[in-house]
Amino acid sequence: MRRLIAYPLAALGLVTASLMIGSPASAHGYVSSPPSRQALCAAGRVGDCGPIQYEPQSVEGPKGQRNCHGGLAQFAVLNDNGRNWPATSVGTAVTFSWVLTARHSTSSWEYLIGGRRIAFFSDGGRQPSATVSHQVSLAGFSGRQTLLEIWNIGDTPMAFYNCIDLQIGGGGPAPSPTAAPSPTARPTASPTARPSTGPSSRPTVRPSGPAASPSSRPTGTVPGTEWAAGTTYRTGAEVTYQGLRYRCRQSHTSIVTWEPSYYTLALWLPV
Amino acid sequence: MRRIGFALAAAALTLLAACGTAAPEPVAYQPPGPPRADATFNATDVMFLQMMVTHHTQGLEMVKLARTRQTSEEVAMLAGAIEVTQTTELEVMRGWLNSWGEPVSAGHDPNAHASHGGLPITGADEMAALRAATGARFQTTFLNLLIGHQHNAVEMARTETDGGANPQVKDLANRITLSRDEQIKQMLALVAA
Repeated sequence: MRRLIAYPLAALGLVTASLMIGSPASAHGYVSSPPSRQALCAAGRVGDCGPIQYEPQSVEGPKGQRNCHGGLAQFAVLNDNGRNWPATSVGTAVTFSWVLTARHSTSSWEYLIGGRRIAFFSDGGRQPSATVSHQVSLAGFSGRQTLLEIWNIGDTPMAFYNCIDLQIGGGGPAPSPTAAPSPTARPTASPTARPSTGPSSRPTVRPSGPAASPSSRPTGTVPGTEWAAGTTYRTGAEVTYQGLRYRCRQSHTSIVTWEPSYYTLALWLPV
Repeated sequence: MRRIGFALAAAALTLLAACGTAAPEPVAYQPPGPPRADATFNATDVMFLQMMVTHHTQGLEMVKLARTRQTSEEVAMLAGAIEVTQTTELEVMRGWLNSWGEPVSAGHDPNAHASHGGLPITGADEMAALRAATGARFQTTFLNLLIGHQHNAVEMARTETDGGANPQVKDLANRITLSRDEQIKQMLALVAA
């Protein structure tokens, strides 16, 4: 009963936020890898983004712009370079991958750095396939750069805008002292480029048996620990939730809605 | 299968209690039954459930395929958890439609989204792209497809939140919105890694 009440309340803010910005149906795609600014907002790696975090696929504005937010006031945060967007370290040959939620007939895909077009893919009005990725050479660029990627729609005057912050050349945060003469000028840029916050970077636990050293296991495996979101639970781990004990039946990294309930009987068995 | 395991566990629990091995704790755990839906509903509730049944079925195909391919452990765990939780959601949604005497799925109208200005990515499109992806590209393709797929689920849930009438279906829509939003966060971190 308590759970039933909790969801609508928790969802309320979210739904309200999305209603305010209107027509969600115009949502259709963004660059997920290397992550665009809207992808960083949706992933929760950058906070306080406003409504864009719920619909990173919606940065749609008239063609021909040279900004990160498609001219949409509600997404202006994307165009704010003062937000210290984490930059992804890349080499000079990069594959850009898209998430699409609708396949518009496509005129072209443009990649620009500093107003200079570095790659252009013409689709001639074709409908893209379910996933899209492009190989782009960044030869001639180094250090921290913001790349603008534009998806020009074929049968409307609209385009989708993405800004992607990159640290080009070398894998490290400070690959070449010459390329970054004043590292202190952007303290947050590089160190946060590969943060250890996402689920992906949680220590990958030893693949073998559940009896591995208890001391190094995630907190969730300590019997009686209260269930929590964002925890990697291994098969056999025990938690308490709302006063009852449960045992994990299938390893997973928990999220809100995957707490013990009727819907998660395959994940959590009452003990 | 799960229900049987669950029933056994519940039985064991009852047995334990009966043996009096422990002090009379606030008695035996009541296994939750499938949530029931009220008899009042409108056309939006029906349409939402029918569309979600189709959408869930397509999503299940994707995660099942992913589990036969080489992926990182995190991706495998996520796919596995999505598979089992969406399977239960699917059973619940079918149960509600059945209890209302409504068909459990709507024929997928390819023009259903035409007014939105773009063709939707259908299950067939997704599966074709997924099957074609090999090697290291498989994981990236899978994540990008499933992220888009779950964004679509959130968009569909919004139609129910805005126009549905049945409180249980609206709760499910909220559940889907929250759950998919969190899954998308996990997947965006994985695909960017």
